[in-house]
Amino acid sequence: MSGRTIELVVVGAMLAGTLIAQTQIAQTQIAPTQAAGTHKDYRFNVGPKAGVSVNNPYGSISVKPSTGNVVVINAVLASDKVEVDNNLAGNRVDIQSHLLPGADAQSGRVDYEILVPADASITLHSTTGSLRAEKLHGDVTLEGAAASVDVRDISRAHVHVKTLNGPVTITNVQDGHVEVDSLSGEVTLNSVTGPLVQVISTSGGIHYIGDFGDRGEYRLTSHSGDIEATVPETTSADVSARTVRGEVHDDVPLLPKTHTWFPITQGRTFTGTMGQTTMSSTVVLRSFSGKIHLRKRTSK
Amino acid sequence: MNCVELQASLAETEDSSNSEQQQAHLKTCRECSALVAELNLIAATAIELRAADEPSPRVWNSIEIALRQEGLIREGLIREGTTRPARAGRSLLPSFSSRWAWARWALPVAAALLIAVGVYVRQHSLVVQLTRDTAPPATVSGDVSDAAVAGLNDDDLLQEVAQLSPAAQAQYADNLRHVNAYIQDAKSVVAADPNDEEARRSLMEAYQEKAMLFELAMDRSLP
Repeated sequence: MSGRTIELVVVGAMLAGTLIAQTQIAQTQIAPTQAAGTHKDYRFNVGPKAGVSVNNPYGSISVKPSTGNVVVINAVLASDKVEVDNNLAGNRVDIQSHLLPGADAQSGRVDYEILVPADASITLHSTTGSLRAEKLHGDVTLEGAAASVDVRDISRAHVHVKTLNGPVTITNVQDGHVEVDSLSGEVTLNSVTGPLVQVISTSGGIHYIGDFGDRGEYRLTSHSGDIEATVPETTSADVSARTVRGEVHDDVPLLPKTHTWFPITQGRTFTGTMGQTTMSSTVVLRSFSGKIHLRKRTSK
Repeated sequence: MNCVELQASLAETEDSSNSEQQQAHLKTCRECSALVAELNLIAATAIELRAADEPSPRVWNSIEIALRQEGLIREGLIREGTTRPARAGRSLLPSFSSRWAWARWALPVAAALLIAVGVYVRQHSLVVQLTRDTAPPATVSGDVSDAAVAGLNDDDLLQEVAQLSPAAQAQYADNLRHVNAYIQDAKSVVAADPNDEEARRSLMEAYQEKAMLFELAMDRSLP
């Protein structure tokens, strides 16, 4: 073997070794990315008061306001057994996590971070993931079976929530039209006011913390879940509470009404007015077998 | 001959072409002319179907018996030795063999239809009246089956969630039990005081909860 031949063999071996090493490095770089999920980004230009709908069987959805009339969607797909279908029709964006054959709760999971114009109306649906919407003033509709729901900083909008057993937390909603239906999830409303605030729960508890606004209608109803309303002293409201088999407790001094359309039973009902009657909201607390407790908020 | 007389004569005449009076009127009256043209078309079509659709003698006999029992057939018009009534040597019952005979069936058929409609309407109105008189409002009695309310059948729901995980199935079953208890309690309160508007509202809300349970169970996104 001549010196020239040996030189060629050595150079070839070095090139081959370099190629193999690069391939291995590339593979080790790709593997973590797949484990962490595949990122997909979508961007849609929309007009005022756009509609955005996201249907995601497994995974979380979080919506925040964007700057300008643009919808930005960042999706993290857990595997190649799920894909994101998207559609822009007029002023409406529809996103659907499309489960492919063999997908399950883990491999079919998609987590969304979405930015929408603040005046957009959104409809979010997830079976298991968390649903979160904040700082919007368009209508918000959230549905989920076991999904936890967190809505905050919404104004002048409808907020509709439906859950099977996921907990619902709604915070700082002003001038809202709020309707919450939950079968067994705990529902917590903190500083939620508006013309209509209604919560219906079968077995989950309902907690209201706030002043019931002014001239609104507040209806908190449960079958077996407890209802607890914590109000500041400055609250103005016409309050009535009734339970069939549970108990009522009242820590707030109420001005008794001279006339009621239902019989007053000690320990099962109370009714009266607190604060200024001219600015008062109507508050109805009703449970069949749960406890109802109207308590005064202690200043801390 | 005017229009009324012509239309009356159509049922009595075997062949309209034989009547000079009819022909004279048809020449001057566009409406009757159009009517006769339509009748001719129907009659021609009926003749083509006659052979296949001619009822059996048993049918005629049955009709005759029924008409006799109703007193619509006079005995004097029935020929001796035959079961078929006759008029001037022909069957009283019009045969489809005559060109305009179909029109003769119009009156008894219309009468039968009127009687049938009358009987139906009367029976229906009686049922409605009975329902109104005997059944109290559903919201007052609370006697409303779940299945009657928008088809909220428990078995359907359990079947719908059968493909879910055992834990999820248990959750739905548990919630179903709770919401059924809710409905029963709401019903009992409404029954105790039917004038309690809040109680009626509770019953409606209880059903609303059950409807939502079904909606969640049957949601399209569930795998």
